[in-house]
Amino acid sequence: MSGQQINPDDALYVDMYIAKNSQTMTFIRSSYSAILGLAAGTLGLTNWSGFIFYFLGSAFLSLLIFLVKAKGNPSPYFRQPLDVFTEGVLGGMLSYILFWTLLYGIIHVYD
Amino acid sequence: MGAWTVLQERQAMLLDPAIRDWVLIPIMIVMVLVGIVRHQVTVLLNGTPKKADLKSARETKALQRGGILRAHGTHLPEHAFEARKTFLSDAFEKGTYEKDPNASSKPKGNVMQDPAYVETMMDGMKKNMMNIIPQTVIMAWINFFFSGFVLIKLPFPLTIRFKSMLQRGIETSDMDVSWVSSLSWYFLNLFGLQSVFTLILGSGHAADAMRDMQAMSTMGMGAAAGPQMGPTGQPADMHKIFLSEKENLDLTEHEWGLENVEMRVLVKYGKLPRSVLVDYKKAKSLGSASSQSASSPSSASAQIAAAASSSPAVTAGKKKGRRQV
Repeated sequence: MSGQQINPDDALYVDMYIAKNSQTMTFIRSSYSAILGLAAGTLGLTNWSGFIFYFLGSAFLSLLIFLVKAKGNPSPYFRQPLDVFTEGVLGGMLSYILFWTLLYGIIHVYD
Repeated sequence: MGAWTVLQERQAMLLDPAIRDWVLIPIMIVMVLVGIVRHQVTVLLNGTPKKADLKSARETKALQRGGILRAHGTHLPEHAFEARKTFLSDAFEKGTYEKDPNASSKPKGNVMQDPAYVETMMDGMKKNMMNIIPQTVIMAWINFFFSGFVLIKLPFPLTIRFKSMLQRGIETSDMDVSWVSSLSWYFLNLFGLQSVFTLILGSGHAADAMRDMQAMSTMGMGAAAGPQMGPTGQPADMHKIFLSEKENLDLTEHEWGLENVEMRVLVKYGKLPRSVLVDYKKAKSLGSASSQSASSPSSASAQIAAAASSSPAVTAGKKKGRRQV
């Protein structure tokens, strides 16, 4: 995350940096949700447990980003501080379902 | 445990491993490869972006200048702001920066005769075709070769409504909906591979399924044309845009960003209570001049010893703050 030290009080966000940050978020979330899908498929989760697994996993990821990358203070990096927790969660879900289905099918449906 | 036995019971169907080897995995690989090829072809087709000529660049930059002045005018002192405002609204009014100052008086010819318009149109069409063709071909391929059998079981249940869509070509009325055919696997890939493409090609890649859907829905309307096209596909009337920008400029009031700055600095570093600012705002809305001149310099000088500034505005604010606390 290329963060710039700015005062959160004023609305001076550099668009380029904001775009770069959300790009980084997308990157992290994409790879993470694919890996999470592989894990869920291998474990053979079905129905709600799979979706709950995804949401717990991405909440954990959000927490990691919040604490490690943003050092507990996301407002210098994002226009909306809550973006750390929401951005890309639903977009990652599609690829989660894909890899979940793939691994579930290969391991538990085909013998 | 209960859930596990239910799962075992439901899964009283075995699929031939050959289906996995020759259908499931190949479809995924083909879709990834097609996505990559498409990205490369799009990059190739687009080539280097066409350079705008001097006049049209000047046109857009002039508009941008107006917008910037409106957004960041607080950083300018009042006289500078006013000078820029007058200059720009004058120029916008007269159409100094327009590419073709007499365009609005001329009658509009047929847009199809305009080579620039036709070119942007063709570009849009080309991009649309690039988006649609590969997906259609893959879908036809899957429909032709891989229909009529169950490919995979989704790990989550779906309602019965999806049955006709996801199990097309499989005539069994009792089978659970989560057993799906290859076409559903295609759709799962279409949407789920987005993140894979993001990882492989970087973001902003051209293998975007969402864009495909958009392209399909707006097909034939000449969408995705140029940036300066109006909603009807006609080139927009630049003079009108300039006039509306002028109007926006005229409506913008100047607000000096450093106004009251000494007080704000002192409040920020804890030398003054925060209520000072609120008082200041109130006083300003009533007419600040009288409230500031009311504080006598002699009584103020005793109080500013703690504060590191001797500006009369600050002391006035400070006194007011003390009085209230």
